[in-house]
Amino acid sequence: MEVARYKLGVALATLSFLVLTLFAPCVIAAQADRYEILAEATRLANEGDFAGALELFHQVPAPGENEDGGVFVRSRMEAAKIYFSMDRYPESARMCGEILAIYPDNLEAQNLLRQVKAAQTPRWVRFLKDLKTYLPTLLKASGMTLVLVVITMIVSPVMGLFIALGRISRIRSLSSLFWCYIWIFRGTPLLLQLFFIYYGLPPMGLTLEPFTAAVLGLGLNYSAYLAEIIRGAIESIDPGQMEAAKSIGMTYWQAMRKIIVPQTYKRLVPPVGNEFIALIKDTALVSTIAMVELMRAADQIFNATFNIFILVQAAIIYLVFTSIFTVSFKKLEDRLGVYENR
Amino acid sequence: MIELVDVVKRFGDFTAVDKVSLNINKGEKIVIIGPSGSGKTTLLKMINFLQKMDSGKILMEGKEVGYHRDAKGRLVLEKQEVICKLRSEICMVFQHFYLFPHMTALQNVMEGPMTVKKQSREEAREIAMDLLGKVGLLDKKDVYPAFLSGGQKQRVAIARALAMKPMLMLFDEPTSALDPELVGEVFNTIKALALEGMTMVIVTHQMGFAREMADRVIFMDNGRFIFEGDSQDVFSDRMDNPRVKAFLDKVL
Repeated sequence: MEVARYKLGVALATLSFLVLTLFAPCVIAAQADRYEILAEATRLANEGDFAGALELFHQVPAPGENEDGGVFVRSRMEAAKIYFSMDRYPESARMCGEILAIYPDNLEAQNLLRQVKAAQTPRWVRFLKDLKTYLPTLLKASGMTLVLVVITMIVSPVMGLFIALGRISRIRSLSSLFWCYIWIFRGTPLLLQLFFIYYGLPPMGLTLEPFTAAVLGLGLNYSAYLAEIIRGAIESIDPGQMEAAKSIGMTYWQAMRKIIVPQTYKRLVPPVGNEFIALIKDTALVSTIAMVELMRAADQIFNATFNIFILVQAAIIYLVFTSIFTVSFKKLEDRLGVYENR
Repeated sequence: MIELVDVVKRFGDFTAVDKVSLNINKGEKIVIIGPSGSGKTTLLKMINFLQKMDSGKILMEGKEVGYHRDAKGRLVLEKQEVICKLRSEICMVFQHFYLFPHMTALQNVMEGPMTVKKQSREEAREIAMDLLGKVGLLDKKDVYPAFLSGGQKQRVAIARALAMKPMLMLFDEPTSALDPELVGEVFNTIKALALEGMTMVIVTHQMGFAREMADRVIFMDNGRFIFEGDSQDVFSDRMDNPRVKAFLDKVL
């Protein structure tokens, strides 16, 4: 049926083309005819009579030498759009093809043809293709996630140790100061802290790059958590160890450095490993302060493609990260525990 | 050599050590016995400055050490360096050993000379090997404390204290945490040390110490010395102090 109609259309087009070329003197009149056909077809299409409109669009012949092809392009384009809206992709593609055969640079036809091709491939194929297309983008963004994690993993235990030592110090003011620090940074949401650092500090005259703000926010927050974990670990060491160290003449700091703190390492691994896994996921929060990392990239691609599998792919990358951490922390724990009889 | 004069230690309302005076002469072996909670351990810890005394004096070679008095006349411990110097000369062996669990037997013994005395690793190693040999644990030098028996742990602890070459050794119930069959090895180690002429104060429930190596036996109760004498006095039938007698009847 369609094919027949198409053939008819082509026949008509050819006929009119012949008529036009044969009757060269009537070219201007024919040109006028085309406008009329186009106008009529557009009217029909606006009224919803797509079949009628298509028939008329097909009647507009291809332009001859030195002829203005505007009407032709318009009619084929309109027809292609109608076919596309009716999900008749092959016809739509053919219409675009006819335009591109004469005007290969026509952007509108090129765009529509791309859409038609996209519409013709099954959805899941398209989704899988997206995964391949956007994987490099996601991996690149997850590099930033990793950078944030590694920096925080280095900064926060060091800061945490100092804060913990300050907390257990007998110097009251030092202890209170660090108590406040932990109270604030552990007691408020990380998201709020990031907002405060990135959006709240500039009005006070301190403008930070998103990266600096992200590192600062994560570092300050995680230092507070790790400080409490480290303090707990230090306090869990038998006080007899400190006594024994002192009894052979060690100073408080020598005892801390050589005897007490090294004994906490093994006990620290499980809770600190936990924190670091939470950290990997918490880096997603910095996407809110203009940092492009894994979550942000996934979100952007998802919004452009509405492809839910992009999010699945991001989830898998997060899982790979957390799994690597889990396994290596278990290994570390076993290695640090060689002196234990179990 | 070291003298305590009217030493007092209170924990809140409780007086743990009540005006005790004790003169420790060079080469002397003093054994302190007495019921639990009588202040023996607290007294030892004060000699090692691990506990701060509330009043009294500690003299070393006749000179007052470790404390000075603040404006209100209260005792204040000297600066850390001073205290650490004193402690490195008076070493203590604990009931529960307190070996450093993350170090091997050898490292435990080497730690003091290296960290406190700043001796080189080679020097410290030599001292430590020598001492481990002396307490009969050279074959255990690379073993972590968790893999040693109680008796072996205590012998390493003794070696660790000896590595500081102390002028006085304090033993706080060195055999109380041991299984009965392991007491002997530690006892013999300490006895060997005594025979070498080491000055020592031993707090114990093990009457063997009092009987075999004490120059002086002190019976302590309620924070006071209630009896002092040589071992013959304590274990003889002439012993007439009823509290000492009651205690001895229980432990012997």
